[in-house]
Amino acid sequence: MSVTLDEWFVVLLARTIRPSETVFHGFGSPCAQVAMHVARGTHAPDMVLVEGATYAVNPEPLFIPPTGNDASLTRGAAYTMRFEEFFDAAVRGDVDRMFLSGGQIDGFGNTNVTAIGPAGRPKVKLGGGGGGCNLAATIRHLTLWTTRHRSGRTLVETCDFITDMGHVTPLGTRAELGYTGGGPEWLITELGVFDFPAGRARLRQIFPDVSPAEVRLATGFDLEVAGDLRPVMPPSSAELAVLRAVDPLEVRRSEFSSSELSRAFTASAEPDCAC
Amino acid sequence: MQPRRDKRAALADAVALVADGAVVALGGGLSARLPMAMVRELIRQGRRGLHLVGSAHSIDVDLLVAAGAVRRCEESYVGFEQDLGLAPAYRRAAEEGSIEVAESCCATILAQLRAAEMGLPFLPVRGVRGSDIGRLHPEYAEITCPFTGETLVAVPALRPDVALLHAPAGDRYGNLHLDQPYVLDERFASAARTVIATVDELTSSDEVAAAGVTIPGHLVAAVTEVPYGAHPSSCYPRYAYDRGHLREYVTAAQAGPDGAAKYLAAYVHGTGSEAGYRAAVGADRLSALGAWRESTAAWKGLFA
Repeated sequence: MSVTLDEWFVVLLARTIRPSETVFHGFGSPCAQVAMHVARGTHAPDMVLVEGATYAVNPEPLFIPPTGNDASLTRGAAYTMRFEEFFDAAVRGDVDRMFLSGGQIDGFGNTNVTAIGPAGRPKVKLGGGGGGCNLAATIRHLTLWTTRHRSGRTLVETCDFITDMGHVTPLGTRAELGYTGGGPEWLITELGVFDFPAGRARLRQIFPDVSPAEVRLATGFDLEVAGDLRPVMPPSSAELAVLRAVDPLEVRRSEFSSSELSRAFTASAEPDCAC
Repeated sequence: MQPRRDKRAALADAVALVADGAVVALGGGLSARLPMAMVRELIRQGRRGLHLVGSAHSIDVDLLVAAGAVRRCEESYVGFEQDLGLAPAYRRAAEEGSIEVAESCCATILAQLRAAEMGLPFLPVRGVRGSDIGRLHPEYAEITCPFTGETLVAVPALRPDVALLHAPAGDRYGNLHLDQPYVLDERFASAARTVIATVDELTSSDEVAAAGVTIPGHLVAAVTEVPYGAHPSSCYPRYAYDRGHLREYVTAAQAGPDGAAKYLAAYVHGTGSEAGYRAAVGADRLSALGAWRESTAAWKGLFA
């Protein structure tokens, strides 16, 4: 069974979703968007999937379009939340997980999608954070991801600007700030998987074609590595089948550089489940 | 509140209600139901110094910035998602310092609009602290809840001078039917001092009532029929977004101010009117955007 990096990456995102969670992705997030459908189509059939900027609940799109606000994403949804309804649910603590990315991500899981360089006169003005600076406070768990770890510019010691709050900000910890959400739980990159014991990113799993030294080289904060560092688990055929069916336009690939897209693997020992 | 007054107006007259320097709320979001006909008309009329507010936006904000119509931007996002990337003119203006960027957050803007709707001076939000977004907004203030002692962030009421909304259908009294997602359009309609609407088609009041009135006419000051008035964004159920046209714009604007100026000359200033704009885009191209309803393959084909 052959699998490409983008497919494997999306499966890893999907596995951060627990069964029965209520999960949301923001716009401009094709990998997270596809991952939510992979989870719902495999290990999390009872999840509540809120489809990005359409706020459709448990839709069954026939394809994922290149924009996050398109009627094709609402197909088969019995109900569509209003904008207010979703944000109210999220800020009162009724949403279990959100996917967040960033042009910069630090070791506490703070993310920057606002500007590189000084905010008043940025070197690069990024798109902006959508609802993140409120949602990151109250949504129960955050799954962070980036497809640009290898650039060396993404996982940084300090974000130039904190758009969305991780475990510790310059103003204090989440507890000190009175936040009800638990903060980043996972960080998935094209090199490996990080968890956040004690609020700091720690490399937990690594892709088979990547060495810890490569990860260290690409990481701007002090890299902590789990004592039992393991290879990432290969995708199951069920996960790949759902993924390929829901994303025939392959919008997930728009998040990767062409060199990462050329990474292909032959998965040998195929597990029956994603556990 | 004049629910039975005929609100029909020519596009140029309706858009003339927007003053230089006005706080302008833009309806729709991302690539859907953006009030593009009004955006183009604002540019044709040479409007300046606008303070734009909205949630997640794309070519509407970028085109107004490219045309030099904007002083301050207060959205939660401006860009073309992963597909076409950063917003070229917005990015350039922010980096040069020729616009003020007070980036905001969807949930904060929602709270600010609700405060305006309720006639309150502010509402509190729980987030923002610890995020640098607060540093872009010296008007926010920390408060202590008198009941729980929690520290919260008070955000002031946001009352736009004008809201520009586009709907697939409406009647002459300004009753509008929208398909979901409504994004912030309903909130803008009740929070803003003046609401100006374009509709792809003016229909009878009975038809709008049967489809469901999303925004009532008593909130709307002027309504103008503009076919494809949201193009190149989508307005379902009528048309999908025109990805090829968005790419043409982004490619032009990425080339620099000259590229953006060429686009503006070809599609805004040079067209003179929305009829001219539709002719410049092409009737066949526009009608092809309705192919989404024919089959999944046709729908996918629009985005391939």
